[in-house]
Amino acid sequence: MSQSTREQVMRHLETVTYLQPALHKPQQAPYPDEIDHALYRAYTRSAHDVGGEADVPIRWEEKQEEQWELNTFATCECLAWRGVWNAEERRRRQNVDLGQTQYLGLPYYGRWLLTAARILVDKQHVTLTELVNKIDEVKGRYEQG
Amino acid sequence: MSNDHHHPPAPMVEEVSDFEVLEMAVRELAIEKGLFSADDHRRWTEYVHTLGPLPAARLVAKAWLDPEYKKLAVRDGVKASLDVGVDWINSPPTGFGTPSDYCNLRVLEDTPTVKHVVVCTLCSCYPRPILGQSPEWYRTPNYRRRLVRWPRQVLAEFGLQLDPDIEIRVADSNQKTRYIVLPVRPEGTDGWSEDQLAEIVTRDCLIGVAMPRPGITANAQRPVRPAVRPVHHDH
Repeated sequence: MSQSTREQVMRHLETVTYLQPALHKPQQAPYPDEIDHALYRAYTRSAHDVGGEADVPIRWEEKQEEQWELNTFATCECLAWRGVWNAEERRRRQNVDLGQTQYLGLPYYGRWLLTAARILVDKQHVTLTELVNKIDEVKGRYEQG
Repeated sequence: MSNDHHHPPAPMVEEVSDFEVLEMAVRELAIEKGLFSADDHRRWTEYVHTLGPLPAARLVAKAWLDPEYKKLAVRDGVKASLDVGVDWINSPPTGFGTPSDYCNLRVLEDTPTVKHVVVCTLCSCYPRPILGQSPEWYRTPNYRRRLVRWPRQVLAEFGLQLDPDIEIRVADSNQKTRYIVLPVRPEGTDGWSEDQLAEIVTRDCLIGVAMPRPGITANAQRPVRPAVRPVHHDH
Protein backbone atom coordinates (compact mmCIF):
# COMPACT_ATOMS: atom_id res chain seq x y z
CA MET A 1 0.00 0.00 0.00
CA SER A 2 1.45 3.36 -0.93
CA GLN A 3 1.74 6.06 1.69
CA SER A 4 -1.05 8.18 0.23
CA THR A 5 -3.38 5.19 -0.14
CA ARG A 6 -2.70 4.26 3.47
CA GLU A 7 -3.54 7.80 4.53
CA GLN A 8 -6.77 7.71 2.54
CA VAL A 9 -7.79 4.40 4.08
CA MET A 10 -7.00 5.61 7.58
CA ARG A 11 -8.97 8.83 7.05
CA HIS A 12 -11.91 6.79 5.79
CA LEU A 13 -11.84 4.39 8.75
CA GLU A 14 -11.60 7.25 11.20
CA THR A 15 -14.59 8.99 9.58
CA VAL A 16 -16.63 5.79 9.62
CA THR A 17 -15.87 5.38 13.32
CA TYR A 18 -17.50 8.74 13.99
CA LEU A 19 -20.72 7.46 12.42
CA GLN A 20 -21.14 4.56 14.84
CA PRO A 21 -24.25 5.17 16.90
CA ALA A 22 -23.57 5.73 20.57
CA LEU A 23 -25.04 2.63 22.15
CA HIS A 24 -23.77 3.31 25.65
CA LYS A 25 -22.85 -0.34 25.85
CA PRO A 26 -19.48 -2.02 26.04
CA GLN A 27 -20.24 -4.52 23.31
CA GLN A 28 -21.94 -4.32 19.93
CA ALA A 29 -24.02 -7.19 18.55
CA PRO A 30 -25.03 -8.16 22.10
CA TYR A 31 -26.17 -11.55 23.35
CA PRO A 32 -29.85 -12.30 22.63
CA ASP A 33 -30.88 -12.34 26.29
CA GLU A 34 -29.65 -8.78 26.65
CA ILE A 35 -32.49 -7.42 24.52
CA ASP A 36 -35.62 -6.86 26.58
CA HIS A 37 -38.97 -5.79 25.14
CA ALA A 38 -38.32 -2.08 25.55
CA LEU A 39 -34.95 -2.29 23.82
CA TYR A 40 -36.35 -4.50 21.06
CA ARG A 41 -39.11 -2.00 20.39
CA ALA A 42 -36.66 0.89 20.33
CA TYR A 43 -34.32 -0.86 17.89
CA THR A 44 -37.09 -1.91 15.53
CA ARG A 45 -38.80 1.47 15.27
CA SER A 46 -38.09 3.31 12.03
CA ALA A 47 -35.58 6.11 12.25
CA HIS A 48 -37.87 8.77 10.78
CA ASP A 49 -40.48 8.42 13.53
CA VAL A 50 -39.01 11.25 15.61
CA GLY A 51 -42.13 12.96 17.01
CA GLY A 52 -41.76 13.55 20.74
CA GLU A 53 -38.07 12.66 20.99
CA ALA A 54 -36.16 14.92 23.35
CA ASP A 55 -33.96 17.58 21.83
CA VAL A 56 -32.55 20.98 22.71
CA PRO A 57 -33.59 24.31 21.16
CA ILE A 58 -31.68 25.28 18.03
CA ARG A 59 -31.47 28.49 16.06
CA TRP A 60 -34.24 28.54 13.43
CA GLU A 61 -32.76 29.40 10.07
CA GLU A 62 -33.86 29.81 6.50
CA LYS A 63 -31.80 28.19 3.76
CA GLN A 64 -31.03 29.11 0.21
CA GLU A 65 -31.69 26.22 -2.14
CA GLU A 66 -28.83 24.66 -4.10
CA GLN A 67 -29.43 24.12 -7.80
CA TRP A 68 -28.79 20.39 -7.37
CA GLU A 69 -31.44 20.27 -4.64
CA LEU A 70 -34.12 21.69 -6.92
CA ASN A 71 -32.98 19.34 -9.69
CA THR A 72 -33.21 16.41 -7.29
CA PHE A 73 -36.74 17.36 -6.28
CA ALA A 74 -37.73 17.56 -9.95
CA THR A 75 -36.07 14.22 -10.75
CA CYS A 76 -37.87 12.47 -7.89
CA GLU A 77 -41.21 13.98 -8.93
CA CYS A 78 -40.65 13.07 -12.59
CA LEU A 79 -39.86 9.48 -11.57
CA ALA A 80 -43.23 9.45 -9.80
CA TRP A 81 -45.02 11.27 -12.62
CA ARG A 82 -43.85 8.63 -15.11
CA GLY A 83 -44.59 5.70 -12.84
CA VAL A 84 -41.11 4.53 -11.83
CA TRP A 85 -42.12 4.58 -8.16
CA ASN A 86 -45.28 5.26 -6.26
CA ALA A 87 -45.61 7.49 -3.22
CA GLU A 88 -45.61 4.66 -0.69
CA GLU A 89 -42.43 2.94 -1.81
CA ARG A 90 -40.72 6.25 -2.36
CA ARG A 91 -41.47 7.39 1.17
CA ARG A 92 -40.33 4.11 2.64
CA ARG A 93 -37.10 4.22 0.69
CA GLN A 94 -36.38 7.87 1.48
CA ASN A 95 -37.24 7.71 5.14
CA VAL A 96 -36.96 4.18 6.45
CA ASP A 97 -34.74 1.99 4.30
CA LEU A 98 -31.74 4.30 4.63
CA GLY A 99 -31.21 3.46 8.28
CA GLN A 100 -30.62 5.91 11.08
CA THR A 101 -27.03 6.86 10.28
CA GLN A 102 -27.82 8.07 6.77
CA TYR A 103 -31.24 9.36 7.76
CA LEU A 104 -29.83 11.75 10.33
CA GLY A 105 -26.42 12.22 8.76
CA LEU A 106 -27.20 13.32 5.21
CA PRO A 107 -28.75 16.58 4.00
CA TYR A 108 -32.49 16.51 3.29
CA TYR A 109 -32.18 16.30 -0.49
CA GLY A 110 -29.05 14.18 -0.19
CA ARG A 111 -31.33 11.42 1.11
CA TRP A 112 -33.72 11.95 -1.79
CA LEU A 113 -30.88 11.81 -4.28
CA LEU A 114 -29.33 8.62 -2.94
CA THR A 115 -32.76 7.03 -2.99
CA ALA A 116 -33.35 8.07 -6.60
CA ALA A 117 -30.03 6.47 -7.60
CA ARG A 118 -30.97 3.29 -5.76
CA ILE A 119 -34.39 2.95 -7.37
CA LEU A 120 -32.80 3.03 -10.83
CA VAL A 121 -30.48 0.18 -9.89
CA ASP A 122 -32.94 -1.81 -7.77
CA LYS A 123 -35.55 -1.83 -10.52
CA GLN A 124 -32.85 -2.69 -13.08
CA HIS A 125 -33.29 0.42 -15.17
CA VAL A 126 -29.51 0.83 -14.98
CA THR A 127 -26.75 -1.45 -13.80
CA LEU A 128 -24.36 -0.46 -11.05
CA THR A 129 -21.61 -0.38 -13.67
CA GLU A 130 -23.59 2.10 -15.76
CA LEU A 131 -24.13 4.28 -12.71
CA VAL A 132 -20.46 4.21 -11.70
CA ASN A 133 -19.36 4.94 -15.27
CA LYS A 134 -21.79 7.85 -15.53
CA ILE A 135 -20.54 9.29 -12.25
CA ASP A 136 -16.96 9.07 -13.57
CA GLU A 137 -18.02 10.67 -16.84
CA VAL A 138 -19.69 13.59 -15.05
CA LYS A 139 -16.66 14.07 -12.79
CA GLY A 140 -14.44 14.04 -15.84
CA ARG A 141 -16.50 16.76 -17.46
CA TYR A 142 -16.07 18.97 -14.40
CA GLU A 143 -12.34 18.32 -14.29
CA GLN A 144 -11.98 19.35 -17.91
CA GLY A 145 -13.99 22.48 -17.16
CA MET B 1 -37.70 31.74 -18.61
CA SER B 2 -36.53 28.18 -19.05
CA ASN B 3 -33.03 29.01 -20.22
CA ASP B 4 -32.26 30.88 -17.05
CA HIS B 5 -32.99 27.80 -14.99
CA HIS B 6 -30.33 25.66 -16.61
CA HIS B 7 -26.88 26.44 -15.50
CA PRO B 8 -23.63 25.49 -17.12
CA PRO B 9 -21.28 23.29 -15.14
CA ALA B 10 -19.52 25.11 -12.36
CA PRO B 11 -16.14 26.68 -13.08
CA MET B 12 -13.15 24.42 -12.41
CA VAL B 13 -11.82 26.62 -9.65
CA GLU B 14 -14.55 25.40 -7.34
CA GLU B 15 -14.64 21.79 -6.29
CA VAL B 16 -17.84 20.10 -7.30
CA SER B 17 -19.72 18.29 -4.54
CA ASP B 18 -20.54 14.58 -4.60
CA PHE B 19 -24.22 15.50 -4.55
CA GLU B 20 -23.88 17.64 -7.66
CA VAL B 21 -22.11 14.86 -9.51
CA LEU B 22 -24.63 12.22 -8.45
CA GLU B 23 -27.58 14.49 -9.24
CA MET B 24 -26.38 15.03 -12.78
CA ALA B 25 -25.58 11.33 -13.23
CA VAL B 26 -29.01 10.18 -12.02
CA ARG B 27 -30.89 12.76 -14.07
CA GLU B 28 -28.95 11.99 -17.25
CA LEU B 29 -29.31 8.23 -16.84
CA ALA B 30 -33.05 8.50 -16.20
CA ILE B 31 -33.45 10.59 -19.35
CA GLU B 32 -31.18 8.33 -21.46
CA LYS B 33 -33.20 5.30 -20.34
CA GLY B 34 -36.44 7.04 -21.25
CA LEU B 35 -37.85 6.98 -17.70
CA PHE B 36 -38.79 10.61 -18.15
CA SER B 37 -37.84 13.24 -20.70
CA ALA B 38 -35.65 16.30 -20.38
CA ASP B 39 -38.80 18.25 -21.17
CA ASP B 40 -40.63 16.66 -18.22
CA HIS B 41 -37.81 17.76 -15.95
CA ARG B 42 -37.80 21.28 -17.34
CA ARG B 43 -41.58 21.58 -17.07
CA TRP B 44 -41.56 20.38 -13.49
CA THR B 45 -38.80 22.81 -12.54
CA GLU B 46 -40.70 25.68 -14.14
CA TYR B 47 -43.82 24.64 -12.26
CA VAL B 48 -41.90 24.73 -8.96
CA HIS B 49 -40.82 28.28 -9.76
CA THR B 50 -44.48 29.31 -9.93
CA LEU B 51 -45.24 28.01 -6.43
CA GLY B 52 -45.38 30.11 -3.28
CA PRO B 53 -47.59 31.03 -0.33
CA LEU B 54 -49.70 33.56 -2.25
CA PRO B 55 -52.69 31.30 -3.08
CA ALA B 56 -52.97 30.18 0.55
CA ALA B 57 -52.73 33.80 1.74
CA ARG B 58 -55.48 34.74 -0.66
CA LEU B 59 -57.64 31.85 0.58
CA VAL B 60 -57.33 33.21 4.12
CA ALA B 61 -58.09 36.78 3.04
CA LYS B 62 -61.18 35.64 1.15
CA ALA B 63 -62.33 33.62 4.16
CA TRP B 64 -61.96 36.67 6.40
CA LEU B 65 -64.13 38.72 4.05
CA ASP B 66 -66.76 36.15 3.13
CA PRO B 67 -68.34 33.97 5.85
CA GLU B 68 -69.80 31.58 3.27
CA TYR B 69 -66.40 31.08 1.69
CA LYS B 70 -64.89 30.52 5.12
CA LYS B 71 -67.41 27.73 5.74
CA LEU B 72 -66.49 26.17 2.42
CA ALA B 73 -62.75 26.45 3.15
CA VAL B 74 -63.11 24.70 6.49
CA ARG B 75 -65.46 22.06 5.10
CA ASP B 76 -63.72 21.38 1.77
CA GLY B 77 -60.27 22.91 1.41
CA VAL B 78 -59.74 21.29 -1.97
CA LYS B 79 -62.84 22.90 -3.43
CA ALA B 80 -62.07 26.26 -1.82
CA SER B 81 -58.57 26.11 -3.38
CA LEU B 82 -60.10 26.34 -6.86
CA ASP B 83 -61.12 29.94 -6.10
CA VAL B 84 -57.48 30.87 -5.54
CA GLY B 85 -56.29 29.08 -8.66
CA VAL B 86 -55.09 25.79 -7.16
CA ASP B 87 -56.53 22.59 -8.60
CA TRP B 88 -55.37 19.72 -6.39
CA ILE B 89 -56.93 17.04 -8.55
CA ASN B 90 -56.01 18.00 -12.11
CA SER B 91 -53.15 20.44 -11.68
CA PRO B 92 -50.37 20.82 -14.19
CA PRO B 93 -47.87 19.79 -15.24
CA THR B 94 -49.00 16.18 -14.74
CA GLY B 95 -52.70 16.78 -15.26
CA PHE B 96 -53.43 14.47 -12.35
CA GLY B 97 -52.26 16.58 -9.43
CA THR B 98 -49.03 16.11 -7.56
CA PRO B 99 -47.14 12.90 -8.34
CA SER B 100 -46.50 12.52 -4.61
CA ASP B 101 -50.12 11.41 -4.51
CA TYR B 102 -51.80 13.76 -2.08
CA CYS B 103 -54.78 15.95 -2.70
CA ASN B 104 -56.48 16.39 0.64
CA LEU B 105 -56.13 19.90 2.04
CA ARG B 106 -57.56 20.77 5.43
CA VAL B 107 -57.93 24.37 6.56
CA LEU B 108 -57.55 24.70 10.33
CA GLU B 109 -59.54 27.61 11.73
CA ASP B 110 -58.03 29.40 14.71
CA THR B 111 -60.25 31.08 17.29
CA PRO B 112 -59.31 33.58 20.01
CA THR B 113 -58.78 30.62 22.34
CA VAL B 114 -57.43 27.94 19.98
CA LYS B 115 -54.20 28.24 17.96
CA HIS B 116 -53.22 25.66 15.32
CA VAL B 117 -49.72 24.87 14.14
CA VAL B 118 -48.59 22.37 11.52
CA VAL B 119 -45.77 19.82 11.50
CA CYS B 120 -44.93 16.55 9.80
CA THR B 121 -43.30 14.32 12.37
CA LEU B 122 -42.59 11.48 9.92
CA CYS B 123 -40.98 13.47 7.12
CA SER B 124 -41.78 16.92 5.75
CA CYS B 125 -45.29 16.73 4.27
CA TYR B 126 -46.37 20.20 3.25
CA PRO B 127 -49.15 21.59 1.04
CA ARG B 128 -46.75 22.55 -1.75
CA PRO B 129 -49.32 23.39 -4.46
CA ILE B 130 -50.87 26.13 -2.33
CA LEU B 131 -47.95 27.11 -0.07
CA GLY B 132 -44.78 26.48 -2.09
CA GLN B 133 -41.63 24.74 -0.90
CA SER B 134 -41.30 24.12 2.82
CA PRO B 135 -38.70 26.09 4.77
CA GLU B 136 -35.62 24.19 5.86
CA TRP B 137 -36.45 24.48 9.58
CA TYR B 138 -39.79 22.78 8.96
CA ARG B 139 -37.86 19.76 7.64
CA THR B 140 -35.45 19.51 10.56
CA PRO B 141 -35.75 16.55 12.94
CA ASN B 142 -35.55 19.10 15.74
CA TYR B 143 -38.78 20.92 14.80
CA ARG B 144 -40.49 17.58 14.17
CA ARG B 145 -39.31 16.13 17.47
CA ARG B 146 -40.18 19.01 19.74
CA LEU B 147 -43.27 20.72 18.31
CA VAL B 148 -45.60 17.84 19.18
CA ARG B 149 -44.32 17.70 22.74
CA TRP B 150 -43.40 21.26 23.67
CA PRO B 151 -45.47 23.37 21.25
CA ARG B 152 -45.72 26.41 23.53
CA GLN B 153 -41.96 26.56 23.95
CA VAL B 154 -41.26 26.06 20.26
CA LEU B 155 -43.76 28.74 19.27
CA ALA B 156 -42.10 31.10 21.74
CA GLU B 157 -38.78 30.45 19.99
CA PHE B 158 -40.46 31.62 16.79
CA GLY B 159 -41.50 34.80 18.59
CA LEU B 160 -45.07 33.76 19.30
CA GLN B 161 -45.74 34.10 23.02
CA LEU B 162 -49.20 32.72 23.64
CA ASP B 163 -51.31 33.36 26.68
CA PRO B 164 -51.40 30.23 28.87
CA ASP B 165 -55.18 29.91 28.46
CA ILE B 166 -54.91 29.68 24.68
CA GLU B 167 -55.08 26.03 23.67
CA ILE B 168 -52.52 24.89 21.08
CA ARG B 169 -53.47 22.19 18.59
CA VAL B 170 -50.66 20.62 16.59
CA ALA B 171 -51.69 19.08 13.27
CA ASP B 172 -49.40 16.26 12.14
CA SER B 173 -49.43 16.08 8.35
CA ASN B 174 -49.26 12.81 6.50
CA GLN B 175 -48.91 11.58 2.99
CA LYS B 176 -52.51 12.14 2.01
CA THR B 177 -53.54 15.08 4.18
CA ARG B 178 -51.89 18.50 4.27
CA TYR B 179 -52.84 21.51 6.36
CA ILE B 180 -52.83 25.29 6.36
CA VAL B 181 -53.84 27.50 9.26
CA LEU B 182 -56.62 30.05 8.96
CA PRO B 183 -55.59 32.58 11.63
CA VAL B 184 -57.87 34.98 13.43
CA ARG B 185 -58.25 38.23 11.52
CA PRO B 186 -56.22 40.77 13.47
CA GLU B 187 -57.60 44.03 14.81
CA GLY B 188 -56.82 47.15 12.86
CA THR B 189 -57.77 45.68 9.49
CA ASP B 190 -61.33 46.95 9.19
CA GLY B 191 -62.26 47.95 5.67
CA TRP B 192 -59.19 46.35 4.16
CA SER B 193 -59.35 44.87 0.68
CA GLU B 194 -58.59 41.24 -0.11
CA ASP B 195 -55.19 42.26 -1.49
CA GLN B 196 -54.32 44.20 1.65
CA LEU B 197 -55.37 41.32 3.88
CA ALA B 198 -53.52 38.72 1.82
CA GLU B 199 -50.31 40.72 2.23
CA ILE B 200 -50.15 40.19 5.98
CA VAL B 201 -50.80 36.44 5.75
CA THR B 202 -47.23 35.24 5.55
CA ARG B 203 -45.95 31.71 5.03
CA ASP B 204 -45.19 31.49 8.75
CA CYS B 205 -48.79 32.50 9.60
CA LEU B 206 -50.05 29.72 7.33
CA ILE B 207 -47.83 27.13 9.04
CA GLY B 208 -48.96 28.53 12.37
CA VAL B 209 -45.68 29.73 13.89
CA ALA B 210 -46.70 33.39 13.51
CA MET B 211 -49.88 35.44 13.67
CA PRO B 212 -50.81 38.12 11.15
CA ARG B 213 -50.40 41.74 12.20
CA PRO B 214 -51.09 44.96 10.33
CA GLY B 215 -47.87 46.27 8.84
CA ILE B 216 -46.07 42.91 8.96
CA THR B 217 -45.87 41.49 5.45
CA ALA B 218 -42.81 39.26 5.73
CA ASN B 219 -41.67 36.32 7.80
CA ALA B 220 -39.61 37.11 10.89
CA GLN B 221 -35.97 37.84 10.09
CA ARG B 222 -33.84 34.76 10.58
CA PRO B 223 -30.30 33.87 9.65
CA VAL B 224 -30.07 32.54 6.09
CA ARG B 225 -27.74 29.67 5.28
CA PRO B 226 -26.38 30.57 1.85
CA ALA B 227 -26.11 28.00 -0.94
CA VAL B 228 -22.83 27.34 -2.73
CA ARG B 229 -24.58 27.39 -6.11
CA PRO B 230 -28.06 28.72 -5.41
CA VAL B 231 -31.17 28.39 -7.52
CA HIS B 232 -31.79 31.63 -9.37
CA HIS B 233 -35.36 32.78 -9.45
CA ASP B 234 -35.95 35.11 -12.35
CA HIS B 235 -39.25 36.47 -11.24
